[in-house]
Amino acid sequence: MSRSLLTLLGIAIGIMAIISLMALGEGMQQAVTGELSSLSDVIIVSTGGGGFSTFGGGGSTSNGEYFTQRDVADIQRLQGVKEVSTQLASSGLAEYNGKTTIVSLTGMDISVMRLQYASQNLEAGGFLNEGEQNEIMIGYGIAHNTFDANISVGGRIKINGEKFFVSGIFGKQGMGGTSSDSLVLMSSRDFQKLTGQSNISLIYLRVYNVNDAESIATSIQNTINGNHGQKDFATATTMTSILKTVQSIIGILQLVLVAIASIALVVASIGIMNTMLTSVMERTREIGIMKAIGATNLDIMSIFIIEGMLVSSIGGIIGIILGVFGSQGLTMILNSYMSMGGSSRLTPIITLTSVVLAVTVSIIVGVLSSLYPAWKAARMSPIEAVRYE
Amino acid sequence: MTKDVIVTQHISKTYGRPPLQVFALRETNLDIKQGDYIAIIGPSGSGKSTLMNLLGCLDKPSTGKIFIDGSDVSTLNEKELARIRREKIGFIFQKYNLIPTLNALENVELSMGFAGVDSQTRTKKAKQLLEMVELSKRLTHKPSEMSGGEQQRVAIARALANSPSIILADEPTGNVDTKSGENIMRILEDVNRKGETIIVVTHNMAIAQRAKRLLRIQDGEVREDHV
Repeated sequence: MSRSLLTLLGIAIGIMAIISLMALGEGMQQAVTGELSSLSDVIIVSTGGGGFSTFGGGGSTSNGEYFTQRDVADIQRLQGVKEVSTQLASSGLAEYNGKTTIVSLTGMDISVMRLQYASQNLEAGGFLNEGEQNEIMIGYGIAHNTFDANISVGGRIKINGEKFFVSGIFGKQGMGGTSSDSLVLMSSRDFQKLTGQSNISLIYLRVYNVNDAESIATSIQNTINGNHGQKDFATATTMTSILKTVQSIIGILQLVLVAIASIALVVASIGIMNTMLTSVMERTREIGIMKAIGATNLDIMSIFIIEGMLVSSIGGIIGIILGVFGSQGLTMILNSYMSMGGSSRLTPIITLTSVVLAVTVSIIVGVLSSLYPAWKAARMSPIEAVRYE
Repeated sequence: MTKDVIVTQHISKTYGRPPLQVFALRETNLDIKQGDYIAIIGPSGSGKSTLMNLLGCLDKPSTGKIFIDGSDVSTLNEKELARIRREKIGFIFQKYNLIPTLNALENVELSMGFAGVDSQTRTKKAKQLLEMVELSKRLTHKPSEMSGGEQQRVAIARALANSPSIILADEPTGNVDTKSGENIMRILEDVNRKGETIIVVTHNMAIAQRAKRLLRIQDGEVREDHV
């Protein structure tokens, strides 16, 4: 009895390892996908064939051409496009506390701005207000690392000679993602007034489904290129391809983790086999009696296989329960080591698939590892077995 | 004319190879009729148990043929032999050989389970049989909770479970006291009166004398055959 319990424990530990590592992998998958997909539903359309480099700057307009309102309208009409906003980009001279430096200026509609940066943490202050003039929001880097002194909310910066008040400062961007640290954000109106430009250097859009992003990007390129009669007037960039790569890397990682956990299961199945072989030896006489009263080899085999299956599936179920707790513990440890930003904490995710897999695997392990002992039991001669003391 | 339930033709059981060959049983010819009550006696090592094992299809003869209910068991495969053991033969051992983890009822039901009898019928029949051997009050007792005589009566009930035509009892009273032994023999004789063929191996001459037919085995050969 205690022997069966120990065997059962072996299976339980193996299954626990698999369940918790799968939960961890799944959690990682979801965390990264979640983080990236908050970006990857974004398509950025810029002019020129060179593509898009940085979030805040960008918009190479080297060919001297800009997007038209017709382009924007066309994009809006495409299926799967959620929202479209335009960005005006230029650079300007900013002066604060006696120091002058060149910064990238970004102008966009305030409503769009709120949407665009909704997920961004603010260090201080708030978003720009509709109707207010000469207000800006700045990135963490501009506030703290660009000028000799730190800039705080309400601070006054001169841009191209014009005074602007800082209404909000973005928090420091965590790892990954595109940086808003060097952002100088103002309303489209202020931007036009300041720079005299009203040309759309950049179109942002979000799509409903991340998976459609690539095809939508292609049709945007085709549409705009068609509008302008140029082969490579516009470049639409998505984050989907990056997402795919990361997902496949995590997929491989997950597979490796499960493979390592499977070693525990292999050891456990050897344990079952050992227990069953001992049990067959001990029950030699019993087997003989059963054969003498008419049990077939198949009857005997199934007795032992069912027993093995029972032990391993009970072990499996216990393992699943332990795995649920194990994965919680594991992520707790991981979270305390990798102090990622608050939003990217790992949470273990136990999927139905992994539970079904665990149950199936433990039953299969039970059957496979009791097959040999069962076969040994079945081929005992009844006469030898009955004589056995 | 009663039909033959067991016929053996020149059966021998040998161990080893010549010249060191040992005959456990030599050239034995037997005709056992339906309803026979046979006692087999002989000293230890004379071949009694070997004969019983061969008749019970637990073992195969080295040479010769055994017919049980007309079918030549030497030609049968393992599965068919199991069927013969299950349906034609009921075995009773000296040491009862009940399954220690099962209670009386479950022990009796076991062979019916192998025969594929449904559980309701199984339980009903097992209860009837245990009632017949006067163990109605012991249904849920494990073998370890019963006396030797009681265990042997459970074994008899088990042997009868699939209504076999032959009961093979290998020293059924060997491990029980005289009174229980008497009880066991009385049950077996009752069964015999209902037409069952009974073959009993025994050391006890008093028991052997009660049989209708007596076989004495010595050195692997059947020496006497009183009818």
